Amino acid sequence: MMNKKKREYEAQGKTVEAAIESGLAAMRATRDEVEIQVLDEGSRGLLGIGSRNAVVKLTLKQGLVQEEPVAPVITAAAPKPVSPTVVEPMTTLSAPAPVEMLADEEEDEEEPTAVSSAPILDEEAAVAQEILTNLLQKMAVSATIVAGVTAPDDLTGERVNVLDIRGEDLRILIGQRGDTLSALQYIARLMVGHRLHQRANFVIDIEGYRQRREVALAKLAERMAQKAIQQRRPISLEPMPPHERRIIHMTLRGHQRVYTQSTGEGDRRKVRILLK
Amino acid sequence: MKELIEYIVKSLVDHPDDVQVAEVAGKAGIVVELRVAPEDMGRIIGKNGRVINSIRALLQVRADKLGQQVSLEVLEGD
Repeated sequence: MMNKKKREYEAQGKTVEAAIESGLAAMRATRDEVEIQVLDEGSRGLLGIGSRNAVVKLTLKQGLVQEEPVAPVITAAAPKPVSPTVVEPMTTLSAPAPVEMLADEEEDEEEPTAVSSAPILDEEAAVAQEILTNLLQKMAVSATIVAGVTAPDDLTGERVNVLDIRGEDLRILIGQRGDTLSALQYIARLMVGHRLHQRANFVIDIEGYRQRREVALAKLAERMAQKAIQQRRPISLEPMPPHERRIIHMTLRGHQRVYTQSTGEGDRRKVRILLK
Repeated sequence: MKELIEYIVKSLVDHPDDVQVAEVAGKAGIVVELRVAPEDMGRIIGKNGRVINSIRALLQVRADKLGQQVSLEVLEGD
């Protein structure tokens, strides 16, 4: 699958050195053929908590580029290969982030934009895509699956695979408040995890639903923070699933006048916005 | 329906050969009956039934597409 040299590659590892090694192996390049940019030095964390991988970006030096890389991507319905593109997570509102994910699928001669993920992510993506394709087929949902990778998480620097399901009238697959989408992701992760003997943590999206939801939640967080400040009292939000609560926490992290807390148990767990 | 459940469940258990799925006509539509090896029961049901309920949600999508009523029951296997 990777017999041609890639121009750019982002790799992860426990240390910067390990990340570089893994990237070079994936690119089939030697150290003097690439320029190395350290995106994240990584951290061991405390007792394994808060540890994150080092991330490096390797770029093949000018003159050594052989051919435009075409990343291998399987699609469920359309046979046309699509390059995986980096998906920006909507965790901050400071800059209104682009709503369209995986937007640019056209070949671009000038700019090598295809950034590949680490080999482990590639394997997970391939298996996840296969399993999701079969699932949708057996559910009689006709759709195309486009694979991508998230940008490094604000907090952990971690990247995860994103499989975006695209097609006509997929509301039935999202369900109320995204319940069916959550179920689909949960089951698909279990199936992939069982196959690969390691926990899978890819994300399934449907027509950018999660992205839109993240933008909406971030706006809600800002609005409710203002309300808390104006009314000088804590504000409780509606109960939300963990990843949605996280978006609220992340949006208001570093806010000058409010902080957030989760309270309640299970399905009733919700975020409270409190004054500092 | 049966095919969907079989595919999901066989991919989750340690004993796929012991998975049995049957469709039975019930009063309120189709009942999909699932049997798995006793050791796989916990895996299929999950904490607070999370796994089985998620499978039900996916089955519901299939049933809605077909315009049918369906339920999924896990039976004690032997």
